[in-house]
Amino acid sequence: MATAVLTTLDPQSRAASRGMSDLSIRNLFIIPTIVFLIVFNIFPLLYSLGYSFTDFRASSSAPANFVGLQNYRDLLADPFIWNNFTITAKYVIVSVVGQVIVGFGVALLLNRDIPFKGLLTTLLLLPMMLSMAVVGLFWKLLYDPSFGIINYALGLGTFEWLSNPNMALYAVALTDIWMWSPFVMLLSLAGLSAVPKHLYEAAAIDRAGSFYTFFRITLPLVAPILMIAIIFRTMEAFKTFDLAYILTSQPTTEVISIRLYKMAFQEWQTGMSCALAYIVLIMVLAITNIYVKYLNKVKER
Amino acid sequence: MAAVRTSGERTTNRLAIVLVLIITMIFLAPIYWIASTAFKPRNLATTIPPTVIFTPEISPFVKLFTKRSQLRAAPTPEEYEAAPWWERLVFDGGEKVVRSGRGEVQLSGYPSRFMNSLIVAITSTVLAVGMGTFTAYGFSRFKVKGEQDLLFFILSTRMLPPVVVAIPMFLMYRAVGLNDTHLGLIILYTAFNLSFAVWLMKGFIDEIPKEYEEAALVDGYTRMQAFFKIVIPEAATGIAATAVFCFITAWNEYAFALIMTNRRAQTAPPFIPSQVGSGLPDWTVIASGTLLFLLPVAIFTFLLRNHLLRGMSFGAIRK
Amino acid sequence: MRKKLIGMAGGLALALASSTSVLAQELTIFWAEWDPANYLQELVNEYEAETGVQVTVETTPWSDFQTKTFTELNAKGSAYDMVVGDSQWLGAASEAGHYVDLTEFFNKHNLGEVMAPATVKYYAEYPSSSGKYWAIPAEGDAVGWSYRKDWFEDPAEMEAFKAKYGYDLAVPATWAQMRDIAEFFHRPDQGRYGIAIYTDNSYDGLVMGVENAIFSYGGELGNYETYEVDGIINSEQNIAALEMYRELYGFTPPGWAKTFFVENNQAITENLAAMSMNYFAFFPALTNEASNPNAKVTGFFANPAGPDGHQFAALGGQGISVISYSENQEESMKFLEWFIKDDVQKRWAELGGYTASAAVLESEEFQNATPYNKAFYETMFKVKDFWATPEYAELLIQMNQRIYPYITGGEGTAKDALDSLATDWNATFKKYNRVQ
Repeated sequence: MATAVLTTLDPQSRAASRGMSDLSIRNLFIIPTIVFLIVFNIFPLLYSLGYSFTDFRASSSAPANFVGLQNYRDLLADPFIWNNFTITAKYVIVSVVGQVIVGFGVALLLNRDIPFKGLLTTLLLLPMMLSMAVVGLFWKLLYDPSFGIINYALGLGTFEWLSNPNMALYAVALTDIWMWSPFVMLLSLAGLSAVPKHLYEAAAIDRAGSFYTFFRITLPLVAPILMIAIIFRTMEAFKTFDLAYILTSQPTTEVISIRLYKMAFQEWQTGMSCALAYIVLIMVLAITNIYVKYLNKVKER
Repeated sequence: MAAVRTSGERTTNRLAIVLVLIITMIFLAPIYWIASTAFKPRNLATTIPPTVIFTPEISPFVKLFTKRSQLRAAPTPEEYEAAPWWERLVFDGGEKVVRSGRGEVQLSGYPSRFMNSLIVAITSTVLAVGMGTFTAYGFSRFKVKGEQDLLFFILSTRMLPPVVVAIPMFLMYRAVGLNDTHLGLIILYTAFNLSFAVWLMKGFIDEIPKEYEEAALVDGYTRMQAFFKIVIPEAATGIAATAVFCFITAWNEYAFALIMTNRRAQTAPPFIPSQVGSGLPDWTVIASGTLLFLLPVAIFTFLLRNHLLRGMSFGAIRK
Repeated sequence: MRKKLIGMAGGLALALASSTSVLAQELTIFWAEWDPANYLQELVNEYEAETGVQVTVETTPWSDFQTKTFTELNAKGSAYDMVVGDSQWLGAASEAGHYVDLTEFFNKHNLGEVMAPATVKYYAEYPSSSGKYWAIPAEGDAVGWSYRKDWFEDPAEMEAFKAKYGYDLAVPATWAQMRDIAEFFHRPDQGRYGIAIYTDNSYDGLVMGVENAIFSYGGELGNYETYEVDGIINSEQNIAALEMYRELYGFTPPGWAKTFFVENNQAITENLAAMSMNYFAFFPALTNEASNPNAKVTGFFANPAGPDGHQFAALGGQGISVISYSENQEESMKFLEWFIKDDVQKRWAELGGYTASAAVLESEEFQNATPYNKAFYETMFKVKDFWATPEYAELLIQMNQRIYPYITGGEGTAKDALDSLATDWNATFKKYNRVQ
């Protein structure tokens, strides 16, 4: 597929007479990546798709029976699953919005002459360098109502972060925000420093308000790279598993990946879990597609 | 950076610095706590109020590196005297060092897993960033039919929840003998990071003015030379940021490392949580394992800090 | 780049294929990471000293033990020669052909007599009463209780307790007494709480905890031979037991909604609770002064009786099985022959393993070796277990889904929760054609 698309190069492009032609350079640069990704994704994808129409269980030696759309029908009719999706949506919104506000905010503050800026930035990036499993372990301890540091530091007594069904999801999202705001911050910082200074100077001469400067100059220029950060954070948040799984076990924090994990690796309902994975995949595809469309629009401006 | 002119701006600037410092402190508080726990005696690990002043100990690190088991009976004075200093530290903690059938001290899984992590994370980062940069340049500079679709396909490879990919990948790896090998994890992490590397690098390379290379081509460079001598240096910031992210992802990946590898190639992330197994986790050991594991990424990031901060300003300013 | 990678992959595959048959003098046993696995490593090191065969106990975090094992087994992996697997796995692993049938080995060595009867029934035999054996009982375990002796023996507390409840404050003999004691010591304003119980619903924590109440109340989960559940899982006794568990939840420390073995041990070390439920296998850490500052004042007791005098406990523990895909099955059988020897079992107990050998369990020496061994011995002759059918995981998840909201959130009633569970279980058994 990839090769067919790539064999015709626009003759208008600069065909260098020296060295390799642009055509072969382009193919050399792009095709290996595409082929590599196809090889390593097509098999799992086809496997999952195929089994999503069967009652296959990887744990049993019984042959798989074709059940048509039964798995999809059962899943979409299951109120527990819809609840999982609602929880996931809430989680994605809270944690991604939180990360963008904190991450972009800190980047705005950092985008000036600050002593030890390199060191500060490295230190701020530390949370995202830890592994999810370790963050989960330590934050469970930090949140502990009896001997956790958070309640002690904030003077909250025995406030129950994780065992209060209404609070637990926000507590997990808070940990996620702590961990991943630095990601948004670093990308925003890279975007912010790209804004040409003469634009700010021109705005200052025009006596433009800081609101105007921010929304008409800063934001549009940072938007493309910020969008990439948001796309990746949304995708990751949608798939989130470790943090919520380790921190709490409230029904109110059972995001879709936890349900999927239980179905696939505890119950070994392989066929059913493949169907659920496809439903998740289609949702993520749809959401990401909207983002990417928006990103392209932003870039055109 | 433009010079600060008015006193109002100067105040804003100072305020911003103070705010940044406060936020940094909040962000670092949990990490400071982990780092200090790594040197605490075990009985001070979870005290409330938290213990701030204590005599630092090296014993958590000794415990981290050795295979230990609970002491059933206190060691005899002779045994204790005969033991080397580090073994005494383990005795003091109510544990003993496990020795093999040939009498050798058995190490915990940590050191070998740490090495595995280094091999896998470094190699896969180099591969992902390298391939990602090439591909991003290809998409950025040349006309590609169905460009948007291909880019979206690349992005989509990161959307499947890993839980589901795990079973078919495991079967595929078993069939070709890639399970429990470094190469297996390297390929997996490269594939996983590639979509991110392509997208991020494309974002950066799009910002580099085409005119630079065109000037170079006019000067007699080949396209390849122009790419390596003009584009790569200009894209250094992007490469640094991408490398940091890819390295962090590969370094900390848990699910695939757990499922695809066993004794030979397993990386360190699954090791640290296993330390809670004994019913009363020794938080000092967990913290020391976490701290040591944080160091390589932190150092890597610190070394690249200037590249990370230079931002994309080159393109836009000179345009 | 791609060609190179594939070439490398091919080369590596070849190298691997040619190297696997060389190392017959090496065996790998898979288990979860915890103290008993370290004790087992010490034990097998002695086997290496004796025979030269190097045995490695490979471990993974508890939370991933089930996932990791079954991924490996379902893909017919040969990375492990033996696994020390949970009792609930027997059905799934034997029906799928993952475990080697050990019936002959079992009968030849008369293990039905050598090992304690409950351990044979639950760790080794599947299906129930079929006479087919798939594992050698290795690590016996059950749920017991630890408590704060210093709180219980404080004269002022004893007096106040007697005045309030009309009987002496002592180790509870019944669940009703346990409730009273938990209520008595529950003083949130002093940062002291009554009792620590299991509530983690991500695997079998909560269910194990509730089972302790159910079994001692004289209830059952169902008929393990006919798969009948109606009127059994939602019996009067079980409803009363579940209500009791819910009541005890009211006397737990704050935030006690995802707790399992770690948190319950911490309840003792952090001075949070007067009594705490836990597997015996996690008690060594409580008697060690380096890990438990209250080691000297920590006592242990067996699961108390229910209102009708029944006294049972939920079973933990594991049997050791040989994996069908292992290339070293013969070596593994030789190892097992060594492992079941009386003196090895005795040594296993000395090192800290919970032997299932009846002779060792009954010996004075074993019972006096630690403060909790006697309670362990008493418990191991009255244990019951969860379903061991291949679909046990679905049954477990359904049970968690139904009872967790009731116990931790007080949603609905015990009767509703158990009635719904009976419906779920019936549907599951129908789905797998266990019942008509």
